[in-house]
Amino acid sequence: MMWEGLAIGLFSLGIIGFGFFWVIRMEYHLGYLWWPYPLLFGVGIIVLSLLVADAGWSALLGVTGASFIWGATELKEQAVRADLGWFPRNPKPKPLPPFASVIRKIKAPHL
Amino acid sequence: MLQTSGLWLALATFLSIWWGHVGVRWLEAKSADIRPPMVALIIAGLILNVAALFAPNVTIGGVCSVVGIALWWDAFELVRQDRRVRHGHAPANPNNPRHARYLAEGKATLHDPLDREPSDPFVDTQPTAHRKPEIAS
Repeated sequence: MMWEGLAIGLFSLGIIGFGFFWVIRMEYHLGYLWWPYPLLFGVGIIVLSLLVADAGWSALLGVTGASFIWGATELKEQAVRADLGWFPRNPKPKPLPPFASVIRKIKAPHL
Repeated sequence: MLQTSGLWLALATFLSIWWGHVGVRWLEAKSADIRPPMVALIIAGLILNVAALFAPNVTIGGVCSVVGIALWWDAFELVRQDRRVRHGHAPANPNNPRHARYLAEGKATLHDPLDREPSDPFVDTQPTAHRKPEIAS
């Protein structure tokens, strides 16, 4: 029996669960304008998965990359949830992301 | 040679999450009773996870299991979406008898509260929920 497939499925559950955690923390501490960075990180991990010889490790990297891309699309909605008072909002000033002026011109993606 | 297993799994994961967001909202809004779609999702998830055990390779097994586990999550997410609609955190469908009942109770809403731009995190640190209403003079 192919237990590796089931292990990858369980891993996806864990990494998506971790995604909920880091999206909430990242929006709280940095703000939603940082969305391109987890997106690019996710794309980078998927590109890396192409270069790994073992199919199992490549699969785990692919799942991880996709979860970071999804997380990037979730940051904007998380900011709205914080605006609406459904989640705590950080009253401290947030650091500007690199290339903030360019990022502001792009509509943040969301699902 | 490039290893495409990760790419397939990334696609399966992202599409599963996308369906988990968009499809579950649609399914919950259209279903008068969420129990039949929940059972269907649980059975489909079970079939895919059993199929993963008999897959010919890691890629197919992984895709089957990722989609199968996402369908189980979606079954659970239907309950959460129902709760969101009941509390006015997601739009209700007035043509759905269950949602119509929530609307009659007064907490549900027809508009999507998340369908708006977030405030600029570097300009205003006060949540909208605590802001005074803006009245045009």
